[in-house]
Amino acid sequence: MLSNLERILFVILVVVSMGLAWVTFRRMFKVIGRGSDPIDWAKALAKWPKGLSVFLSQKTLFKTRPVVGAIHAGVAWGFTLYLLVNVIDVLYGMVPGFHFLPNHFIGDIYRFFVDFFSMVVLVGVLLFVVRRFITKDERLVTNEPVLLSESARKGVKRDSLIVGVFIILHVGFRFVGASFEVAIHGADWSQPGATLLSAAWAGLSPDALVFGEHLGWWMALGLILGFMPYFPYSKHAHLFMGPLNYMAQIERRSPSTLEIMDLEDEDAEQFGAAKVEHLPQKELLDAYACIMCNRCQDGCPAYQTGKELSPAAIEINKRYYFNEHLKEFSEGADSLDSLSKWMLSEEAAWSCTTCGFCIEACPVGNEPMVDILRMRQDLVLMESNFPRDAMEVFDKIENYGNPWGMSPMDREKWTEGMDVPKMREKGSAEYLYWAGCSGAYDDRGKDISRSVAKIMNEAGVDYAILGNEETCTGDSARRIGNEYLFQMQAMQNMENFEKYDVKKVVTQCPHCLTTLKNDYGEIGMELEVVHHSEFIADMIKEGKISPDKSLEEDVTFHDACYVGRHHGEYDAPRDVLESVMGEDANVVEMPRSKEESFCCGAGGGNMWYEINTGKRINVERFEEAIETGAKKVATSCNFCMIMMEDARKVTGQDETMEVYDIAELVADRI
Amino acid sequence: MKIAVLVKQVPGSESPLPIQSDQSWVDEGGIAYVMNESDNYALEEALQIKEQNGEGEVVVVSLGPDRIQKVIREGLAKGADRAIHIKTDTAGSVDPLVTASQFADALKDENFDLIFSGLQSDDVGMGQTGVIMGELMGMATASLAMATEVGDGKIKVKRELEAGWFQWVSLSLPASITIQSGLNTPRYPSLKGIMGAKKKEITVIEPSGGDAKQSLDKVYVPQSEKQTVMIEGSVDQQVEKLVDTMRNDIKVL
Repeated sequence: MLSNLERILFVILVVVSMGLAWVTFRRMFKVIGRGSDPIDWAKALAKWPKGLSVFLSQKTLFKTRPVVGAIHAGVAWGFTLYLLVNVIDVLYGMVPGFHFLPNHFIGDIYRFFVDFFSMVVLVGVLLFVVRRFITKDERLVTNEPVLLSESARKGVKRDSLIVGVFIILHVGFRFVGASFEVAIHGADWSQPGATLLSAAWAGLSPDALVFGEHLGWWMALGLILGFMPYFPYSKHAHLFMGPLNYMAQIERRSPSTLEIMDLEDEDAEQFGAAKVEHLPQKELLDAYACIMCNRCQDGCPAYQTGKELSPAAIEINKRYYFNEHLKEFSEGADSLDSLSKWMLSEEAAWSCTTCGFCIEACPVGNEPMVDILRMRQDLVLMESNFPRDAMEVFDKIENYGNPWGMSPMDREKWTEGMDVPKMREKGSAEYLYWAGCSGAYDDRGKDISRSVAKIMNEAGVDYAILGNEETCTGDSARRIGNEYLFQMQAMQNMENFEKYDVKKVVTQCPHCLTTLKNDYGEIGMELEVVHHSEFIADMIKEGKISPDKSLEEDVTFHDACYVGRHHGEYDAPRDVLESVMGEDANVVEMPRSKEESFCCGAGGGNMWYEINTGKRINVERFEEAIETGAKKVATSCNFCMIMMEDARKVTGQDETMEVYDIAELVADRI
Repeated sequence: MKIAVLVKQVPGSESPLPIQSDQSWVDEGGIAYVMNESDNYALEEALQIKEQNGEGEVVVVSLGPDRIQKVIREGLAKGADRAIHIKTDTAGSVDPLVTASQFADALKDENFDLIFSGLQSDDVGMGQTGVIMGELMGMATASLAMATEVGDGKIKVKRELEAGWFQWVSLSLPASITIQSGLNTPRYPSLKGIMGAKKKEITVIEPSGGDAKQSLDKVYVPQSEKQTVMIEGSVDQQVEKLVDTMRNDIKVL
């Protein structure tokens, strides 16, 4: 189609554009290579079916924001098709007389899809532009208290505009070009859109039509060449960095279970991440995969209650830092500032409840929460700089084996007046029942422990407790960043597990569950650990207990993050609840539940210190529970219960709402 | 600036306190031991002075059986340079004169500029060791320090008096100061500190003798008694009687 002069010009432009893009792309991967733990690229690339399936199915886009996700899917599919379109268009322009399967049904189907998806992409991107710049969806901005670099605050908007305009012009001109082609060659039933538009060119001279077709071609493909060198700087790079990131994902036992640190390593200079190059390569790749959609902050308990933390800002700050220091950083210069200066403020790092929502919501497999955990490790292990109250908790765990700082000899007091077998008397048992510190020292926690023991006794389970031999699993210590204390606690407990040949554990504490099952597993002790909700649900299914269906009031259920997102269990606690519901009473769901459940505010050590910025997280969640109209909120985590009980008191809603653990509701009915 | 900090390992406030059957002392087997609270502040004060000066040495000194190495390591992990362990078989004497003499003998050749100790120990609470030791070593002494300022061969100490009053005193060096809890924010040891502490030197020495002029007769858990008194009469009489009881009998007013 093109003239010889145009062909030469095109080849020159391709060489220049690709050359410039190559330089930037190389730097981009060198930046990623600056990270600490290397990405195993061979392993990652071998997972191409995973990347491809996420890319093609777009399934991760529908988890939250399904409508926007659907529009995005249309655009993404259109763009995927355009990869082929651009190749064919180049051939059409460069190879004289080339037409893609003219008068063949495959060619016709191809042209139909292109015609259709061109319109889908145009409409979709137009909607995105309208949403960002005209109706101004507030989810697309990050509120003030969050540390987000000035260049990012402006840059995200500018970048979105550039990308939006690029897509509209690229696809638009391709579409216009096609309409001129139709005008030249006559109506084409396989391109209804282009045919419709071609009517606008009626009356133009043949030369004008040819000029129009050339203009369309040049604008469509020339824009790509123009955009290419900018592409690695733009968030549009998520197009392939997203799937790549998905393939490079680290398989963790739970989202909060980081690899075990070798504390004996004499050569180790750094524990945790103080600077960006201390983060693993995968977590630098995260920044390039991020499209800055802010889905992660939509359900972040800290962000939603006005604190300094936005998980999105972590990735965005990283990306802008890389963009601004691309040359020197890729060439090996140290990043000068500590992460707390530009990536995430210290207060923000302490505001994270490790609820795991950000990881769950991210369509491209980013793990901002893991960055936070690594930063905390540095602040605790290297800097000794963390909330005062957390320091007291460390001392209490170290000295008394529980974060409450109560006597280790009082740990089994909750069993008084009950028949609860102890390992030291029994020698061994099929199940170790792990009440945990909250189940041993907190008053409401003791109620839960007694309920669980009553259920186990009733069901005739072969179990025993460690009693006073039990000590804190080290969950809070590990999530706050004190790996040293965590490992000390783990060693003590693991010694006991070996002594009593423990293989199976039941616990009502989701934090103990995660730690025993995943963190201890990571150390090398494989235990079968089940949550009491799962255990009780099984007891009911197997007919070992049959609670009365006598709960005659509606109940709403609050998912514990460490049972749900961290352990993948959403049904068991609901099954347990259903087993006690009377005929006219229902389990009513809160707007945010299951995978999208909103944290109570206690996880990640936040149980033990106060972040005073913004609204209290537990109050926010408690109000959501109140709005369901239910008079009872059921929990399956002791921390959640403490937070709900606290919110009940501070909001003065003692009368309106009662808080129960699912085990209590069952134990009262057998 | 060379500073010695006397630290003592004591039962934690929430530790179980089983009493030995002969009531001579607590049964050490079931006790969770911690660093004496005010000693922790004394150590922090010493570390801060060293850091402000940019040079100097902080030496942790403790007296007791092997178990006390835990608090010695804690002190080293927080930043003390080395330690002296005056090793005894038992928890040590309850006579502060004996204890102070043992410390003084151990430290007499070290030429410390400052000796910091906690105001009192949380177990026997005599509150005299640092003061007597200062006297024995011929040092200026001050007790109940709420703040310190070191400079020009002197140490200025803000001392806590009764009823919210305080006084500033200036002491020439060397000096022995007993430190009140709360005057600073004790640090948490970093991992590097903990690992580094394993390589720091702990000099173990024998205690010098000494005739104890004080001893414990008996250790026991206070018996709580419940007494109910009904106050009768008119409202005015009741109030008067209640106030009188609270003021003179149970002394809470």
